[in-house]
This record gives sequence, structure tokens and C-alpha cells, in this order.
Amino acid sequence: MRKTDKQAAARPVIEFSRVDLSFGDRKIIDKLDLTVREGEFVCIIGPSGCGKTTALRMAGGLVNPTGGSVGVLGEAMLKPRRDVAIVFQDYGKALLPWRTAHGNISLALEAAGVAKAERGDRIEHLLEKVGLPGQGDKYPAEMSGGMQQRLQIARCLAQDPKVLLMDEPFGALDAMTRQTLQDELLSIAADTRATVFFVTHDLEEAIYLGDRVVGLLPDPGRIGTMTEIGLPRPRDQLSTREMPEFLALRRSLFDFIEKAEA
Amino acid sequence: MRARGLLLPLLLLVAAELGMRLSGTQSMALAAPSDVFLSLLSAIGDGSLLVATRDTLTVAFAGLAIGTAVGLAFGILFGLVPPLNRLMEVTIEAIRPVPSVALIPIAMLALGFGYRMGIAIVAFACAFPMLILTRAAIAGIEPRLFEVARALRLSAMQRVFKIILPAAFPRIMVAFRLAAGIALVVAVTVEIAANPLGLGYGILIAQQALDPARMLAYLVWIGIVGYALNWALVGAQHGMFGRAGGAEARQ
Amino acid sequence: MTFRGNLPWRIASFAVAAGFVLLWQWIADLKLVSPVFLPGPDRAWNALVAGMTEGDLATKLVATVERMIWGWLIASLAGIALGAAIGISPRMRAYVAPMLEFLRPLPASAIIPVAIALLGLSDAMVLFVIAFGALWPVLLATIHGFSAVEPRLYEVGAALGLTRRQTIMKLSLPSASPDILAGMRLGLTVALILAVVCEMLAGRDGLGNWILLSARSFRAPDLYAGVILLGALGFLSSVAIDWTEQRLLRWRARAR
Repeated sequence: MRKTDKQAAARPVIEFSRVDLSFGDRKIIDKLDLTVREGEFVCIIGPSGCGKTTALRMAGGLVNPTGGSVGVLGEAMLKPRRDVAIVFQDYGKALLPWRTAHGNISLALEAAGVAKAERGDRIEHLLEKVGLPGQGDKYPAEMSGGMQQRLQIARCLAQDPKVLLMDEPFGALDAMTRQTLQDELLSIAADTRATVFFVTHDLEEAIYLGDRVVGLLPDPGRIGTMTEIGLPRPRDQLSTREMPEFLALRRSLFDFIEKAEA
Repeated sequence: MRARGLLLPLLLLVAAELGMRLSGTQSMALAAPSDVFLSLLSAIGDGSLLVATRDTLTVAFAGLAIGTAVGLAFGILFGLVPPLNRLMEVTIEAIRPVPSVALIPIAMLALGFGYRMGIAIVAFACAFPMLILTRAAIAGIEPRLFEVARALRLSAMQRVFKIILPAAFPRIMVAFRLAAGIALVVAVTVEIAANPLGLGYGILIAQQALDPARMLAYLVWIGIVGYALNWALVGAQHGMFGRAGGAEARQ
Repeated sequence: MTFRGNLPWRIASFAVAAGFVLLWQWIADLKLVSPVFLPGPDRAWNALVAGMTEGDLATKLVATVERMIWGWLIASLAGIALGAAIGISPRMRAYVAPMLEFLRPLPASAIIPVAIALLGLSDAMVLFVIAFGALWPVLLATIHGFSAVEPRLYEVGAALGLTRRQTIMKLSLPSASPDILAGMRLGLTVALILAVVCEMLAGRDGLGNWILLSARSFRAPDLYAGVILLGALGFLSSVAIDWTEQRLLRWRARAR
């Protein structure tokens, strides 16, 4: 499945090359160089103000760099494209409150011009895939936070994305729900072979999920560390987290964050 | 940023001025902005505009005072005594939808023309929003406050004056501002429809006298009065709740 | 209001209202208030029935309703279209909104004389005034609704690749719909008021003219019949809006 040695050969999917970003006089990102390869799961960590969310927004085409270039699938990423899906942290704002779960997923299909007759089956299938079977008639307000985030992921999957950009998607959820969703995300990523760019402030989450963890330093945002995660897959919430490598990685990244925040 | 907001009105004024001057139109409905302005000055100069303003504001404020007092009293009563509120519901909902202007002919018969007629109709129009919103303000008080009152062993009177009214006050002020806006609108409307006094009557007379500049001068003046009233009320509200209830007052 | 025992309260509430009608009857019978301007409910009711069956009260009612509805529909369509165009663009708002804020407190009835000067005492004048007056609440509410759309939704729309048209129809418009409906509710009230005032002033056939003429000729029961009809009209239009809101904004009720 995901083997680090194979990835060296895989083609690059997200390419930051000497990316600068300034708002007025303030430099947010400084000469960021980063390549994410096909099928890779890269986690971005760093203290607040390191520009990790901004980097994700640039990869999604929501923000354009003031210097250098951001490319996705070989094209400059100047505006969003349909095969790059974004999962926002604030699912409460990113879902349409006036549409049911069914309708929210349908929005992505409508945007892609999928025929009406075809939508129903695909929506049911997607709801099942994210663990919401039979919940299509519920409005977001009637769902728990975990369910809403599952729904947002389902809507993103409806885009048939080659790239999933996830901005602290589980940050607002309780610990149990978060672990369940982490495992489901891993199996979805394995199924769809999508490339994942995952921003988080949770070190353990980054190690548990990622093939590679990139640590950013703040003011201005730049790369501070880059760590390959060699933990075997499929991963397991109990045994993986007890492995000596896991603990060693956690230790070294924790030291990095502590220094970065100092 | 304010400059951008002024651009459009200025452009419209210049366009209207040029349009009237260049075409030399002699209209019964339109006048060049400069003529309207001169007419406004002369109406202020001869005192007629100020007398009309006084009459309209007298009706609006007196009606507002009576209407909001009645609405406030019943709103508090219904808010504090839910059974009474539920018993009166049908009666209130039956009277409330009557458009205030439908009372003009009744007021004509009962009160004749003059201040009293205008005041009665303005009061009717202001009372209902005040009642409904006061009732809602009291119903919307944080229940924890009632627990606090009970824990402090406050008497019924103390509860009303120390907890309930202060808690509902910001929203009651919002209701008052709404009622004040309604008061001016209804006062002018009654004058235009029937009552021979005030700004509404003035604009109607100017139209019948085929004096478009004067008619439009009255229109502009009514707009200024409305804007000034609104501005004063918003200002008063911010002054009162600048710190404690600013967020709620701005709703 | 889903307390248990709702129905008994409802019945009691109707009983109280009936009590007030009886009180009114009693006051009228004892002539505590001059019958010239306070006929009893019996006489008002008889006048209402007679007017609807034998007289032309029904025609007047239809005339007023038609004016109100047409003016309101025109105002709503124009208000939503203009409001969407202004509300969706921050630049447009910066230029236009201050002027609209200045015009907002202007009583709509004040333009009646201007409309008369322009269009005469015609039905077109009445329609113009109603549409103009009802436009403001819809326009301002729509601008507010469109400018208050959650920015995250636009990012979602961009990520999904929605076209501009789709973004407006599928994101902005539904998001603004609670505001728009609130504006339309206010607009309908304004439309009824202006319809009545214009009919009084311009002598156009309708309930406004009917109640004014009844008062002038001291036919108090006819006057009250007209006022009752106007009250019913106001009540029914508010019920219609309630019903529409409940259907269109079902998602809001569920959120509570």
C-alpha cells in the first residue's frame, strides 16, 4: 500500500516552490519549498502563526502567493479546482443549514453537473462510506459535531477529489469521536488513493495519520523539520500508539514545537 | 469611505439640476434641486415649515408617549403573568392586524380633525409593537436571573424593579426606537390622508397649489426630520448601553 | 407553545374575546358611547353581511386586495433583484447603502403627493405608491441578507466549482431567505396601509374609499364593516406569510 520507498517514484501532486506570501508589510510565508507526492499523506504541524492554514489555503487556490508558485497536478493553483477538495475545521459554517445531509452532498454533484437521476444512488453510497447510512433526511442542526464533519467529508468525496486538503478537521471534536474519524479517514484515503494534505495542531494525530510530518516555524512561516513516519500500516489506535518509534517521534516533534514556540 | 457614499446622491442631484435646466421643462411634479433648495429656505423663512414641523412632531410624540406607555404596561403585565397573556391572545391577535389608517374615519367621527385624531391613531399604531416586543423581552430574560432573585430572597416588587425591568430594558429600548419610527410615519400619513395640519398636509397643499418646488422641499424636509429622529434615537441608545448592553441594543 | 393543555387555553382565550364583543354590545345598547361612531357589533355585522351579499362591499374588497398584492409582488421582485445586486458586491454597497440609509426613515406616504403630481389620481399612481412603499423593506432586508452570507460558504462554493449563477441561486439566496421573507412580511403590511391611504386620497374604488365615504355620510355600521374587513385582510396576509415561512424555513425550526 503506502510504502515510503515507492513514493520517491510517484509523481509530485502538490508543489510549493519558493513560495512567499505577504499581507502588506507582514510576511506570512517565507520561501516555502515542499513537494507532496501522489497518494502521500502529509501532516503539517506548527505553533499558531506559522502559516499552516495559509499554506493549505494556497494549495486550495483560495489564496495566491505573492512570490514563487504553488502547483497542483502540474498546473499553477490560482483558483480552486474541483478535483481538489477542502475540508474546513468549522463544519458548522461550511455546511448549508437549509439543506439536509442529502442536499449538502448533492451540492457537490450539482456543481459537477451530475444528472439528477444519478445523484440519489451516489449520495446514499457516500453517506454509507462516511458512516451516515440512512441519515440523509437530517438537517446539519440535527446532527452532532462528529456527524456534521462526516457529512462535510462526504461532500468533499462527492467531488471525486485527487487531493484532499484538511484544515484541522477533527480539532473541535471530542477525543473518542476524533479517534474513530481518524481511522475512517485512513481507510477512505487508502480506498480512494487520494493525496492528503492534513493540517493539525495535534502531534500524535499527525504521527498516527501521516506518511510524513512537516513542522513549520512561525514569523514568518517556513519549514523547520521534515520527518518520514515509517510506522507500519494499517495503523491501530492502541498498538501503533504504543510502539517505541511512535513514542520517539512524538518526543522529537514535541521538542521541535517547544523550541518553535519559545 | 463616507466620500463614496456621497458620490451617488451628488451625481443624481447634478443630473436632476442639469436635466431641468437644459430641457427647460415646466413640470407640475418636478423641479430643479436648486429651486427646491430655495423653496425650502423660503418655507423656513416664513415660518410655515416650522409650524408644520411642530404640529407633526406634537402629534407624533404625544401619540408615541401614550401608545408606548399603554403597550409597555400591558407588555409587562402579559410578560409577567403568562395565564393572562394566553387568555388575551385571541383578542390581541384580532385587533392587532387592523391597519392603523383604517381608524382614520372612525377618529374623524369620534374626535373631529385636529391633534387628538392624529394622536389617537399614532398611539394605536405604536402600542402593539411595544406590547409584543416588551412581552418578548420579558419572556426572553435569562432564567438563571430568576433563580438568582429567588436565592437572594427578593420580594415581588424588588424582583420587578431590580431584576426584570433592568434585564429587559435594552430590548425594550429597541422596541421604543421602532415605535418612534412608526410614530412619525403614521403622523405624516394621517395628515396626508385626512388631517389638515402638519407636514403631511403641507406637502399635499403644495401639490394642489401646483408648486412642485415647494412640494419637493417638504418631501426633503420630512426626510431630514425622519433621519434626524432616527439618528437621535440610535445615539441615545448607544449612549445608554455603550458598555453594558451595546450588542443587544444594536440589534 | 406546545404546553400540555393548549386547547383549553385556546378555548378560554376565544371566550375572553367573545366577552369583549359582548361588552361592546352592552356599551352600544346602553348608548354609553354615541351610536354615531360606535354602532354595536350586531349592526356592524349586519352591515357587513348586507354589504357582502347585496351591496358592492365584496367588489371593494377585491379591488383593495388586487392593488395590495400586485404592488407588493412588484416591490418584492424589484426589491430582491436590486437588493441582491447591491448586497452581493461590497463596492456597490459602499456607494449605494448610505443613500438608502438616509431614505429609509422617510415615510412612504409622503411620496403620494409627488405621485399624484406625476401620474394624477389614477390606478397607476396607486400601484406606483404601493410598489414604492413596499419596496424599501424588501430591498433593505435583501441587501442585509446578501451581505451577511457566511464567507466560508463562498469558499465552499469556490472549492466545489460552482458557477457564479449557481453560487447566487444555491448559496446566497437561500442564506438570505429568512431576511428576505421578514422584509416581505413588512412590505405586505406597508402595501395594505398604502392601498387604503391612496384609495382615500384618490377616491379609487376600494375599502379605503368605502370607509371614508361611510364616515362622511355617518353610516357607522358600514364603516365598521369595512374596518373589520381590513382587519381580516391584515390577519390573513400575516397568516399567509407565516405559512410560507414555515414551509420555506423548515430548517430553522429544526435547528431550535
